[in-house]
Amino acid sequence: MESSDEEDVVKYRVHLRPITLRNAAPATLHFLPCEIPVNRPAPVERFFTPAIRQGPRGLEVSFRGRSLRGEEVEVPPSLVGYVMRMEEKGEVSGKQDFPEGSEDEEEQELLEPPEALERDFDRFMGASASFSRFTVWGLETIPGPDAKVRAALTWPSLAAAIHAPVQED
Amino acid sequence: MDLSELERDNTGRCRLNSPVPAVCRKAPCALGVDEAGRGPVLGPMVYAICYCPLSRLTDLEALKVADSKTLSESERDRLFAKMEEDGDFVGWALDVLSPNLISTSMLGRVKYNLNSMSHDTAAGLVQYALDQGVKVAQVFVDTVGLPETYQKRLQQCFPDIEVTVTAKADALYPVVSAASICAKVARDQVVKNWQFVEKLQDLDIDYGSGYPNDPKTKAWLRKHVEPIFGFPQFVRFSWRTAQSILEKEAEVVTWEDSPTEEDQVGHGKITSYFNEGHRTRPRLPHRYFQERSLESATTL
Repeated sequence: MESSDEEDVVKYRVHLRPITLRNAAPATLHFLPCEIPVNRPAPVERFFTPAIRQGPRGLEVSFRGRSLRGEEVEVPPSLVGYVMRMEEKGEVSGKQDFPEGSEDEEEQELLEPPEALERDFDRFMGASASFSRFTVWGLETIPGPDAKVRAALTWPSLAAAIHAPVQED
Repeated sequence: MDLSELERDNTGRCRLNSPVPAVCRKAPCALGVDEAGRGPVLGPMVYAICYCPLSRLTDLEALKVADSKTLSESERDRLFAKMEEDGDFVGWALDVLSPNLISTSMLGRVKYNLNSMSHDTAAGLVQYALDQGVKVAQVFVDTVGLPETYQKRLQQCFPDIEVTVTAKADALYPVVSAASICAKVARDQVVKNWQFVEKLQDLDIDYGSGYPNDPKTKAWLRKHVEPIFGFPQFVRFSWRTAQSILEKEAEVVTWEDSPTEEDQVGHGKITSYFNEGHRTRPRLPHRYFQERSLESATTL
């Protein structure tokens, strides 16, 4: 969103690897009330998970010496959570994209015709994990019903409603 | 000293105490307060009280208790064992404040500094003795910060008790020396048997004294820094030493209450109000999306 220079924006055509959606293993997710401007693996299982306590007022943990309070948030029914990962350019996906026969209609729609692939502006993304719930952490207080992320989860159903065809009387 | 409760969970605080000697519920008592592990960047801070009837102070003195700093570890252990033997007239209680509690208090949205934490913990322990029925007549405290303000604070909490707050109280009053031994013995034991919450790989337990100026401690901190999580909870994140290692060797973390650049440089020059220059404002999305921090995925 920062970039206002249109010229700088490189346009890509992003393709989804549909098979990754089916194979994505469930993951445990934590949503922290801070920003860490890097993208790298973190030893969550060794440092964070064992430090979580069930306190009288919800989950408790600390991160970088600051106290956090957390609660579980369910992904609304009819939605599925995926952790999406962009493939590096030239990275060869281990899984083939076109398994014989079994495509349903929705996936068919997402697929590009084979000859369109691997152009300069083609990028691929796939799901590396799936989730149906995650833990939202607040700085010293439980995020509660007014948490932004809870409100954000109401957008898909509103979007579906406002984009649905209006029935004529 | 049985610290098993603390070893089960060392993320908060833990109170530990001897049985209250029956005589301390009848005769007026002197009570000493002291602490161990205030300065180190590693491990807990331990507050201790020790009390005995005024009439038995000479017996306590006869144990040759002294300021714990002048004693070796084995001498402290021996003296603590003697005090346990004299459990018929000497009682003690401890409050162990975990490094995690210290970090989260000092780094809270509302800062709770170490002096206030110390004062409140000391007052809490005196109150604990009173709640147990100990007839506290005099309280002696080794000072933290200015003795005058500390004395005033404690005297306000306990108007019926004669409170003496002074520097070097641990050398001047045997009940304070005894308290300092309890605190130091507990702190040493906790540090030695620290149960790391984290599952650490090739953990090195040679962390030196834990004081920030100890080269061994510094080397240990550098070795155990983790780019995302920083340090194990054994480290007091609020210490300058810990912070500066994080600044150099770990990823930057920004919180919602972190000072932003705008806060630091003010809101630009006053002449900017008269400039016709950059009038084009970015078009903001609808409030619905702003309130939910939703943005269009224009970049990936």
